[in-house]
Amino acid sequence: MANKSVWSDNRFWQRSAAWVTGFAAILLIWLTFDTSGQISMGSDADLKNGVTKRVPGPTVINYKITYEMDTKRGHEVPVIGAKEKFFGRDDYSEKEAGDLLHLGKLGSQAKNCMDCHTLLGNGAYYAPDLTKAWLDPAWESTGSMQAMTGKNTKEEAMAEFLQFPSKYPTHARMMPNLGITAAEAKGLVAFLKHMSSIDTNGFPRNFGKIQGALNGK
Amino acid sequence: MFEPFTDIVPSFFGWLNQGPLTLTIFLHSFIVLPMFWIYKQEKARLENEK
Amino acid sequence: MASNHLKWESKQLATWYFTFAAIIFGAQLLFGLVAAIQYVMPGFLFEIVDFSIARILHINALVVWMVFAMIGSVYWLLPDETGIETVGIKIGKLLFWVFAAAIVVVVLVYLLVQVGPADETTIWFITEGREYIEAPRWADIGIVVVVLGFIGNLYATGMKGKPTGIVTVLMADMLAFAGIYLAGMFFTDNITVDQFWWWWVIHLWVEATWEVFVGAIAAYGLIKMIGAHRQVVEMWLWIEVAMLFGSGILGMGHHYFWIGTPEYWWEIGALFSALEPLPLVAMFIHVLYDWGKQQGAAQQRGEEASVITNKPAFTWFVLQAFGNFLGAGVWGFFHTLPQVNLYTHGTQFTSAHGHLAFFGAYATILIGMMYVAIQGSNGIKVLKHTKSSIAAAWMITGGVMGMTVSLTIAGYVDVIVTRAQMGATWAGYFDGHSGMWMTQAMDWRLIMGTVTFLGFLFLIKDFLSTGKNAVHTR
Repeated sequence: MANKSVWSDNRFWQRSAAWVTGFAAILLIWLTFDTSGQISMGSDADLKNGVTKRVPGPTVINYKITYEMDTKRGHEVPVIGAKEKFFGRDDYSEKEAGDLLHLGKLGSQAKNCMDCHTLLGNGAYYAPDLTKAWLDPAWESTGSMQAMTGKNTKEEAMAEFLQFPSKYPTHARMMPNLGITAAEAKGLVAFLKHMSSIDTNGFPRNFGKIQGALNGK
Repeated sequence: MFEPFTDIVPSFFGWLNQGPLTLTIFLHSFIVLPMFWIYKQEKARLENEK
Repeated sequence: MASNHLKWESKQLATWYFTFAAIIFGAQLLFGLVAAIQYVMPGFLFEIVDFSIARILHINALVVWMVFAMIGSVYWLLPDETGIETVGIKIGKLLFWVFAAAIVVVVLVYLLVQVGPADETTIWFITEGREYIEAPRWADIGIVVVVLGFIGNLYATGMKGKPTGIVTVLMADMLAFAGIYLAGMFFTDNITVDQFWWWWVIHLWVEATWEVFVGAIAAYGLIKMIGAHRQVVEMWLWIEVAMLFGSGILGMGHHYFWIGTPEYWWEIGALFSALEPLPLVAMFIHVLYDWGKQQGAAQQRGEEASVITNKPAFTWFVLQAFGNFLGAGVWGFFHTLPQVNLYTHGTQFTSAHGHLAFFGAYATILIGMMYVAIQGSNGIKVLKHTKSSIAAAWMITGGVMGMTVSLTIAGYVDVIVTRAQMGATWAGYFDGHSGMWMTQAMDWRLIMGTVTFLGFLFLIKDFLSTGKNAVHTR
């Protein structure tokens, strides 16, 4: 062979592979540091001072959360509004709210929620997405789910459903009884409320904006 | 040409993200360009071997 | 599977791994069927083995049998590549039993205990409740110990014997494969942080390290089965490594669009993951090109016989070349751009992609490696197809393809009705899932899943009987 091409040379490709892999890995680590800073949980002080965090602190359960179009960013974002009672209180301390969220997050894993539902869009597709479940109109005072459970507030209705899901079927596909206690249900609802306040870059789009069933299937 | 900055928290990568494709073209270039240098080195090595 | 034909202990150990993998593969399909039936008849095993439990078993068995078959494949090829017996084979055999026993305990706990109270004991002893890596913490630690033992053996053998390109790639790849698992072993209240690191495990496994692993296995298979030239095969392997890791590592961004992570991931995820199919095209061309080249060279020498020394294994390797490109590449690209993914994220579409990608990229080639082991353990020169091996290949491939098409149609309904039209609420979800297109798609998924399972039965029949069949050249 007169002039062997670099393109068919193993060493060239081996070195290229090492470079590309190494550099991509370094970039990923750098990006991870950058992202980690941005997705760390906020504090109670952030909420009081109106500092926007992608993931607000647990005391966000003391406030009303809505999901509104942000024209600058071109999609909907969770908006943290005025104080709102959660199980009759709107003065949960950072410790109390943190404990509730901790219990709820543990519960979401201990009951395998992710293996039927999706959380932030990840999980299984056998049951509805729970990313913004707290904001679902069905749980509002005029909604069908709250009416079905006979409770007067959103959080109580959700907690009731979580404890006795097969008593309140919404479809032939029902949620099984997972032995969720009253305390765990409260934690899970806090977890859901907190999750709905996470800035998910506009996912899911148009959540809760369209009501009523389809005209025919 | 420059898009308004919409990230909630300013960051180096957010700053590079100035419009369609700017960030990704930058990163891809940074990954691919050094391969020219590897190519030149290997070519020199193959020529020396002869 | 004791065999007099295996002079290497490493290969004997590999057959243990393959046997256990095949059993767990069956469990995966069985619980997949349970879950598929529940989509059609929601009352089936309700509050006995609920969908969540069937699905945990379905996807965990999937990961476990693949990891077993991957470790088996490495133990199988090590003596061929390095020319020496695997170092630390005794430890390897002990670790096999530890690993297998741990898996059995984990599965029984999933099935019989199912859920626990919302505290740390559940996370440590019952389930971590994080899709794919639900295994409780004690098992996590056990898995890390076992895999580190395996990697120790691999490194010791690779450094003592001849470190070929294939072994070098495997050494680097397996270390990353094990190291990444550590990212999934902690608890946090912050679900965004939770899912951020969770993807480090899931994505960097299936879209980076596992892909490079199958690249290395395909390279070994081509050398063994059609006599491809090592230099050519290894050059391809390095190109694949560069392309797979170059696109796959930062392609992780496509999981960071909507979980609370910053907006710059839209760009990084979109473009890097859009390039992920390229190496899969390369792998596809590579397998078919080398086959044609070797056969052509043989014909020029006047040999009419096929150059393939293991027909069923090679069939599965070629199916892998197709399946990886189609399932991981095409079905993945369908919904990787953020504009599309805003509506497809977390729908049946993902499920369609998952089925074809896991099957096409990994199940196929690992079944192929099992045939390579059957050939070796029975001292067969040319392993030929039997009626069962052909039936198995057709039915499993056709079944998975059918499930994928069904789930893709279901995915369209989910995307259009549940998401775009109804805005993803509880009511919107059930509107989407009550529609005729959705329910019929789920019927077809169950039918095609049954076909897949029947194909699996043929596969097992062939595994157990083909070694004694007289059609092969010995």
